[in-house]
Amino acid sequence: MDRPIAYDKLAREDRFVRMRAREVGELKVEQGLPPFPDLASRESIRERVHGIMVGELQAMEGAGRTVYDFPEAPWEFTLDMARQVWDESRHVETYLGLLEHLGGRVGEFPESTILWRCACAEDAAARVAGVNRGLEGLACDVFNQLIHIAQKIGDPIIEKSVDYVLADEITHVRMGSRWLNELTRGDAERRRKAIEFQETIDERFNLGGSRQDGHHEVVPISIAKEARKLAGFTDEEIERLIKSTQRSQVY
Amino acid sequence: MSSHHLAGHFSVDDSARRIRNYRYAEERMMRVLGGWIALTPELPAKLLFGRHVWDCAQHADLWGRRLPELRAAAHESEPANDAMVAFTEMLESPEGPRQTLERIVGVYAVLKPHLVTVYARHLASTNAVYEPPTRRILTRCLEEERRHAAAGAIVLDRLARDAAGRARVADCARRLLAALEKAGGVTGDAPAPLVDPALLDVAPEIVAPDLVQVPPDFDPAALSADLASAVNDHRESLESGDAAGAAEWVEPGARDALSAAFAPLAGGITSTRVVGLAAIGRQQMVKLRIESPRAIGFVQLRWTQTTSGWRIAAGDLVSTEPVSAAP
Repeated sequence: MDRPIAYDKLAREDRFVRMRAREVGELKVEQGLPPFPDLASRESIRERVHGIMVGELQAMEGAGRTVYDFPEAPWEFTLDMARQVWDESRHVETYLGLLEHLGGRVGEFPESTILWRCACAEDAAARVAGVNRGLEGLACDVFNQLIHIAQKIGDPIIEKSVDYVLADEITHVRMGSRWLNELTRGDAERRRKAIEFQETIDERFNLGGSRQDGHHEVVPISIAKEARKLAGFTDEEIERLIKSTQRSQVY
Repeated sequence: MSSHHLAGHFSVDDSARRIRNYRYAEERMMRVLGGWIALTPELPAKLLFGRHVWDCAQHADLWGRRLPELRAAAHESEPANDAMVAFTEMLESPEGPRQTLERIVGVYAVLKPHLVTVYARHLASTNAVYEPPTRRILTRCLEEERRHAAAGAIVLDRLARDAAGRARVADCARRLLAALEKAGGVTGDAPAPLVDPALLDVAPEIVAPDLVQVPPDFDPAALSADLASAVNDHRESLESGDAAGAAEWVEPGARDALSAAFAPLAGGITSTRVVGLAAIGRQQMVKLRIESPRAIGFVQLRWTQTTSGWRIAAGDLVSTEPVSAAP
């Protein structure tokens, strides 16, 4: 098996429609719709849940590749990544269940492969920085918001299950923080590149600029500062992220 | 072996060597299952692998941490011999999207059942007074590998639906078992049979947590009646070779691009099938599987509502493969 594999080898059942996120966003804007689900209706929540479900699939696939791609990495790193595979498989199952709960079906919305592409970084340190700290950090923000919406609409099924997924994501970000430090110890250049990769992700994959600092009632997606602190983000990193959201690209 | 309660079968060094062999098998299995997840299209298999990577990692970890207690270096994996390496390479080799059956067979119908057999025999020969640390690990690994093998058998049965699939399964299992026999099993000295079916029975309720209830296959009834009617008329034109009729369903500005997209399937479309439907706001992306005598292609057609009804606004050929490679 190749190490790593090409992006386009990501295998899917025929029922999945794969498209670039940018194209989907543009097509929706052309129809006068928001580029990303705004969670204002049950259908919009369903679309968001579908997007998270495929994101969890890609996170499982990415963590699995990390287990395979780096046989020389420290054993404890491999163990953490193997654990993450299992966690992500439960998240997929959780979101498959939520999709059914919301009356949806697998393949109902297009899949983009943003997360998977980040998971194909050639350096293990870049992968944990980009995926575990960048994208799973973003997941903390998104899940926090979903829990808030579930509480508002009185849906304990979504609230409880997503809360457990959020707890796992915090653990994954923490793993990312640990391994970013350990894998780059004594190699400032490798660390710089890995952090740069993470910052690129923080800036670009920002849900069309809807992720902001502020309360759930005031901003579309609130940066989950408490969850991020639990996961090992420093105050300085959170401040930098807040600043980056003010100049984010639309994806 | 003597019946004395302090009689033993393996020396400390022998035990450490076997444990390095077990760790080799569990570690390789963990890595290959992890690597295969992204390469495997079918959700039941993908999620099966995802469930078991962590269990295999823990088995490898338990064995690796037991080693220093036996005067050996921690966390060392060692294949029994070169033939075992060859077996592992053969097991890892099916990586194409249409080789899921072979992947499941290698791990779930050969290696895991073999480990169940070897672990059970080892457990039966350990001394209850001075080998409990090894016995505890063997008991856990035995139980979990048995459960994994049973879960794999269920998924395999679900995916190998026809005679051709079942023949592939039997052929692959035969080849891999022959390679494993050449190695003498994971420890290099395992007596025949390398797989003891009597050890593999597991109650369905024990296996249930290893299997994810995956949603039913795509149902074309997901298309609304008016869209289904338009899509079916377009498909009929494609299948009957009526290019002008098919073009009528395409917005004029998209006709050239769509003709180019269909070009690799030129030479007569023999059948088409709707395999997916995704919503982009009010537009609908319909995914078709198109067969021609030489190739099978997948196209994604974006349908939009116009004053004349549903029309195709854009389309892409997303993949093709030779007929021989398709299931």
